[in-house]
Amino acid sequence: MASSSKTSGPAASASTSSAPSSSALSFKQRPWVRWGAPLLLLVGLAVLPLVMTESTNDTLARIGVFAVAVLGLNVVMGYTGQVSLGQIFFLGLGAYVTAYGVSQEWNIVLVFALTCLIPAVAGLVVALAAARLGGLAIAMVTVALPIVGVPLAKRLSDYTGGSQGLSARFVEAPEGSGLYDDQWQLYIVLVVGGIVFLLTSLLVRGKYGRAFAIVKGNENVASSMGISPYRYKVLAFTIASLIGGVSGFLYMVVVQYTSPETMSFGHSIELLVAMVIGGAGSIVGSILGGAFYVVVPDITNAIDPSLTALLQGALLLAVLFVLPGGLVSLPRAVMRGLRRSTAGRGSAAPPTTPSPTAGSGSATENPETERQGHV
Amino acid sequence: MEKFVQLVVDGLSTGSVYAALALAIVLVHSATGLINFAQGGMAVLAAYFAWWLTNQGLPLIVAILLSIVFSFVLGAAVERWLMRRFERGDPDTAIVVTVGLLTLITGIAGWLWSYNNQQFESLFPLDTVSFLGVSVSVRSIGTTLVIVAAMILLQLLFVRTKLGLALRAVAINPQSAAFSGLPVGRLLMVGWGLAAVLGAVAGALVAPRLTLTPGMLDNALVYALAAVILGGLTSPFGVVIAAWLIGVLENLAAVYVPFIGFDLKVAVPFILIFVVLLVRPQGLFGRKTVVRV
Repeated sequence: MASSSKTSGPAASASTSSAPSSSALSFKQRPWVRWGAPLLLLVGLAVLPLVMTESTNDTLARIGVFAVAVLGLNVVMGYTGQVSLGQIFFLGLGAYVTAYGVSQEWNIVLVFALTCLIPAVAGLVVALAAARLGGLAIAMVTVALPIVGVPLAKRLSDYTGGSQGLSARFVEAPEGSGLYDDQWQLYIVLVVGGIVFLLTSLLVRGKYGRAFAIVKGNENVASSMGISPYRYKVLAFTIASLIGGVSGFLYMVVVQYTSPETMSFGHSIELLVAMVIGGAGSIVGSILGGAFYVVVPDITNAIDPSLTALLQGALLLAVLFVLPGGLVSLPRAVMRGLRRSTAGRGSAAPPTTPSPTAGSGSATENPETERQGHV
Repeated sequence: MEKFVQLVVDGLSTGSVYAALALAIVLVHSATGLINFAQGGMAVLAAYFAWWLTNQGLPLIVAILLSIVFSFVLGAAVERWLMRRFERGDPDTAIVVTVGLLTLITGIAGWLWSYNNQQFESLFPLDTVSFLGVSVSVRSIGTTLVIVAAMILLQLLFVRTKLGLALRAVAINPQSAAFSGLPVGRLLMVGWGLAAVLGAVAGALVAPRLTLTPGMLDNALVYALAAVILGGLTSPFGVVIAAWLIGVLENLAAVYVPFIGFDLKVAVPFILIFVVLLVRPQGLFGRKTVVRV
């Protein structure tokens, strides 16, 4: 692919991207950048676990886990516009299924399949009922999932270990690989998470993604176009639950312990906060959201643990006021602000949405930044 | 039988608390078309305010009345300075804003007064009285009566006063209301303030039993939302009935259904919702809304 793009690349990339048909390609659209950058990122991610310290690897792995969880939330909320306050429940469910399967010494492939299947079925059942009402009902019903989930997990103590929780150590670096456990765990998160991100980004850009976007935009328009809002809401919620289940599997890979506290109401809200702050409806935003979810409590706990919720709430409101697109839209907002201030002094050029020709160095084009995200 | 009556009376009292929160949610929804997930959080903040005042030496009833005034101002301020910007936009974004507000309020309460449980004095004595031959707790009856009184007052305000007429006009059609000279913005602030007052009353009445924590009303919020779904967003009457139904049923289920017990009774309203949603999606008493493209 990379070699053939030497000749056919410019035409192909010019036709697939929204670039103007001028022959002068910007820096980002040159073929070696288009193929080279993701490759570089891939190599970087492959080397990264080997050179980082153990605690950095652990933090990165946890970021990966919650990036996947936020991605699931993004499918139902960012892309389909249905507020879900229950995503953490599916992470917890996936974690419990994994822990139980491991404790029964089932084949790990079977365990993984179940951690996809069981949360997806649970999500399907919830969505079938919740999506029957208008858009707000999904929020009102899903808020119950963590609140019912915690006592339910405590009650089903035969399977969940009750309040004690379950621990499962099943991820050890294979002998002879020369890897430490933390490096191996990070690799698993990178590979599984990477596949989930790749598949999801294909999904939201394809036929289903467009249907989700129409359901988000206007349900009546959607149904007049023959797109059943009900069906697509259920579908989006089911996929989000499935991805949540996968994040639960990864959670067990990294944390190796789960308890009812994993799916508490507070965590569920934190996940939503992380998604909005990272950037709703964005693949890169999901990664930023995962980073926010993991890093901010780490920082605030070091200062004063009682400040965490205060800070998260204040940050969420601040982002909604000044940067509704989340952190992922920050470069674009900054560029727009810069351009407006220069335009204000010079000619009266109206502020427009950034076009690829505006600046070769600006990392503003969404598809381009997203492309790097899922490698 | 005696146990059954006690359970029903206790259920009605917790149901009244849910009803007050649910009515507050319906009030906000009818005025601004959004669901306020911070309704419980605002009530908790009011309860903390009252608790702090009693610690300063004020008598409980004065502290509660002051906290009611406080929450009216809080509700109006939240509408004016926070929600106003998001009211005409995407309702889902507005929901996220209220979730952010809930997080912020929980954070403020936890930061100022710690996440530990605080004892909140009860307005009513912990005695029991004989009622139709069975003894029931004074606190349950008192809670129910106070909230029913608050709801009747609110209903009178809406039906009998000019302010209530204006509030209803804004709720039905803000644009026409503005054309006929009503100060829509200020009326919305009043609507949010009244909703916050209802929440504050519920919070002060339920705080002694739950003990005061920043997340005290998280569960109650879930019940209130369940009542809103069951009763239908358009029917205040239906919401109150649904809240009482939930309160009584969850109490009965906790005692008479062994698997549910006290820890899982929060699942009861959702089993109800599942059944109702599959049979009557608009809620027990709600109307089907028809939207034009």
